[in-house]
Amino acid sequence: MIGGALGDGRLGAGGESPSELRIGLIAVLIVAFFLIFMLRLFQLQILEGADLASRSQSNSVRSVRLEAPRGDIVDREGRVLATTRPAFRVQVIPNDVRAPELTYPVLAELLGLDHEKLLQKVGRPRGRRRFQPVEIEGDISHEQRARVETHRYALSGVVTDILPRRHYVEGERAAHLLGTIGEIDPQELASDEFDGYRSGEIIGKFGLEARFESHLRGKVGGQNIVVDVAGREIEVIHEVLPVPGGRLVLTLDLDLQRAAEQALTSSDPEQPDPMGAVVAIDPRNGDVLALVSRPAYDPNDFAGGIDTATWNALRGDEWKPLRNRAVSGQYPPGSTYKAIVALAGLVEGVVDPEEEVSCPGHYRLGRRTYRCWKRGGHGKVNLERALVGSCDVYFYQLGVALGVDTIATYATRLGLGRVSGIALQAEQPGLIPTMEWKKEARGEPWIKGETVSVAIGQGYDLVTPLQLAVAYAALANGRTLYRPRLLQRLETWDGKFVREEPPSQGVSLELDPDAIESIRRGLTAVVNDRHGTGGRARLPDVLVAGKTGTSQVVSLDVVKSFEEDEIPVRFRDHAIFAAFAPAVAPEIAVAVLVEHAGGGGGAVAAPIARQLLARYFEKKKERGEEITPVLPSDAESAVEDRRDDGD
Amino acid sequence: MLRVDRRSIQNFDWVFLGLVLMLVACGTVNLISATAAGVEGGMSDIVRRQMAAMAGGAAVMLVVAFVDYRHVERFAMAIFAVTLVLLVLTLAVGVVTRGAQAWLFQGRFQPSELAKIGLVVALARYFHRNPPRSMTGLRQLVPPLVLVALPVGLILLQRDMGVALLTLLVALTYLPLLHIPLRAWSGVAVLAMAGLAALWSFGLKAYQQQRILDFLDPSRDPLSSGYQAMQSRIAIGSGGLLGTGWQQGTQTQLRFLPTQHTDFVFSVLAEEWGFVGSTLVLTLYFIMLLWGLWIARSSKDGFGAMLAVGLVGTLFWPAAINIAMVLGLAPVIGVPMPLFSYGGSALLSAAIALGLLLNVSMRRYVF
Repeated sequence: MIGGALGDGRLGAGGESPSELRIGLIAVLIVAFFLIFMLRLFQLQILEGADLASRSQSNSVRSVRLEAPRGDIVDREGRVLATTRPAFRVQVIPNDVRAPELTYPVLAELLGLDHEKLLQKVGRPRGRRRFQPVEIEGDISHEQRARVETHRYALSGVVTDILPRRHYVEGERAAHLLGTIGEIDPQELASDEFDGYRSGEIIGKFGLEARFESHLRGKVGGQNIVVDVAGREIEVIHEVLPVPGGRLVLTLDLDLQRAAEQALTSSDPEQPDPMGAVVAIDPRNGDVLALVSRPAYDPNDFAGGIDTATWNALRGDEWKPLRNRAVSGQYPPGSTYKAIVALAGLVEGVVDPEEEVSCPGHYRLGRRTYRCWKRGGHGKVNLERALVGSCDVYFYQLGVALGVDTIATYATRLGLGRVSGIALQAEQPGLIPTMEWKKEARGEPWIKGETVSVAIGQGYDLVTPLQLAVAYAALANGRTLYRPRLLQRLETWDGKFVREEPPSQGVSLELDPDAIESIRRGLTAVVNDRHGTGGRARLPDVLVAGKTGTSQVVSLDVVKSFEEDEIPVRFRDHAIFAAFAPAVAPEIAVAVLVEHAGGGGGAVAAPIARQLLARYFEKKKERGEEITPVLPSDAESAVEDRRDDGD
Repeated sequence: MLRVDRRSIQNFDWVFLGLVLMLVACGTVNLISATAAGVEGGMSDIVRRQMAAMAGGAAVMLVVAFVDYRHVERFAMAIFAVTLVLLVLTLAVGVVTRGAQAWLFQGRFQPSELAKIGLVVALARYFHRNPPRSMTGLRQLVPPLVLVALPVGLILLQRDMGVALLTLLVALTYLPLLHIPLRAWSGVAVLAMAGLAALWSFGLKAYQQQRILDFLDPSRDPLSSGYQAMQSRIAIGSGGLLGTGWQQGTQTQLRFLPTQHTDFVFSVLAEEWGFVGSTLVLTLYFIMLLWGLWIARSSKDGFGAMLAVGLVGTLFWPAAINIAMVLGLAPVIGVPMPLFSYGGSALLSAAIALGLLLNVSMRRYVF
């Protein structure tokens, strides 16, 4: 028998057979439960049955979501960029419309809608869909609302409520930074990131709205309401109040943002606004003070669900207004890159600041000849003169002497060729070529001639305007590369402190201070020397240091086939200017890029930077702070030149 | 090992099996109605899936019934350990995937359902080797408490308050059998319960209670549970004496009950079959439970008896909590009704429990 094999002799070890167990007690417990359930069923179905049955036919419980207002986004001084305002919504519950032949025409009249269209919107829902509200209008005016409310008697089944709606106070202002919101799509709904979301919910889709979705969102509440046949509310049986979303306090300075956007606006209303990007950073800590991308869009268009026409127009636009050029646009840095090549030359000891190179207007390497932008040449130039005149030949030679990999080392140390880690989506890394990169990406060895183009910021070199600002901020402080910080702190909706975004600790550059000093002097001269290419960024009371640049979009051969005025916009050069000020103890670093400007960095980009810098120091004066005096010993030469200029 | 004794077959518990089959039939008919809204003719996918699970469950039940349960005793701790490992695995994997999609894939199988059976097997072994009468002090309660704490703790870590509570209750089924100073026990228990209740209702503000509940079960939505409870009462009440008829319940067919094929499946039954129908089903279910206790009592060895008691617990408590919730006697915590609610894992665990009960029953005269 099986038992024989299995029995371990413990049967009844305690001297207790199953029949002696108090199983009866358990039976009593179970029967007690059974009786309670019976009584309860009797109570609900027999005693209260009729009442509850009538309730199921006449009254119903409706669950209403109370949307939480999305949190505000404010600048460093607490000025609101994005907030939430109430919007009045009109809905129809088809089942509760008792006199459709009266209700629908009246409603259409009141809202100024076409009767037929309104009927179409409602459709002929069946089954449980009859009980679900159909939205007629999502954002009606106060007058319309007043009209609907006064005609309530004729409008059984029409429900009005107030929904929070996103409002971007200054329209296009900082649009790319703030981003967009929109209805959650099925893919997002299925992802872990949106655990707990429902379909139809509004989420941040891009920019800060998306990045800080969880903080901005808040917590929805709701009400269970007993309503009568006519859809009138009888009582609220449960209520959970929504918790508004939290506030984002940015490092952005709205005044500077405005100034930068105005500077990128065409003064002639007939002319289209320039396209491009402006980034301003505090070189002392990496705080982003302004970040502009043009062309822009109005994020308010997205707030109530964007209509197809507007969306298609934005999507189909040749110049891609939805793209944040400041972080996603990759451009050859052009001559602004020369400051970095110069720094590499000085630190590596390949060049002495005073060493002179002769520029005859061209440079020969092997069998090829490379031209300087100045046909006649710059004559004899030292480092400072080479920066001031943006001499290509000087940097061709220096670049070849350094080699592409050494240049790349310095560029990378200054944050180029990799994402900065700013709290925005779709940041592009740019590209700083190395020999290894070319072998991997192109499967070909590096050609020395390519180093020549790389040395003047052309060829494979690509940077984003943000990276350029970050690199110049690092040159400005001379010691540290900071990760750009956009968010200062998170707060709850009522201003309670939640979390400080710690300022970037930065990476120490460990560069020779003398080399930095030479670069600073050179860049100061670019703006302040009478021969300097950056003269249009000059300020009367503050010493600005910067570098102009022009980046080719297509090779010269393509452009040559057109007359000067007829070059198609998309083939025109980009104008670039990167700067910091004051030249000594800098407080602000700026990068300006104007796409297809039809002019050089000095002519087009420098004046834009100037407006932004002017606003910064003007604000400082308004606050009553002293501006760093212009006359430190190491800037003397530049000031002398200015005096010459004035004579 | 798989050789089945002739006498076992002769003693097969046809009555118990008959009760189970009747309940399964009622459950299926009800589930068809609960999911019928919006389905044109035929059955919904949910019913089809549930029927596939039933076929699997029947096979499992038969296999479990015919493997001598004393093997189960021998491997009790191993079985228990396996269910614990499964819980730990869910915890590890569950951290990575918590989204809605994860629930779909994870939801196919909930180890916490098996953990109940594992716990019962382990406790039955312990109480067999240390029969209640031989227990003289509280110290002997430490090992079973540890046995209970392991799965309950792991389930709590999954933040599944409902199932954790359920597992604890299943273990508590053994409490009436223990001979430890009952007065002391009840004293401590009553005091603890009273203290907790007092703290809950007087010491904590509404929002604090809310916070605790939210913490224990983040998926809990107080509003929707309030809504469900209300709609459930209306549905049950509108059933009246005889019910609205199959697939005729207005509340049900208009889908006023959001989880009517899982947690609120009993309100569908009550609405459509009325007081008579729901009473009949309840009676059948409780007869099945009492029959299970009779199996325990007539078992020839301590392990069989202890096993059967625990298994009855695994069938009793979820039903009790579910019905109490549906009838508005308990807060809404998502516990499915065995044999009635849609769900594969619950069905599997019920099949194992029923198979083991049949197993104990048909070997009552064997040795």
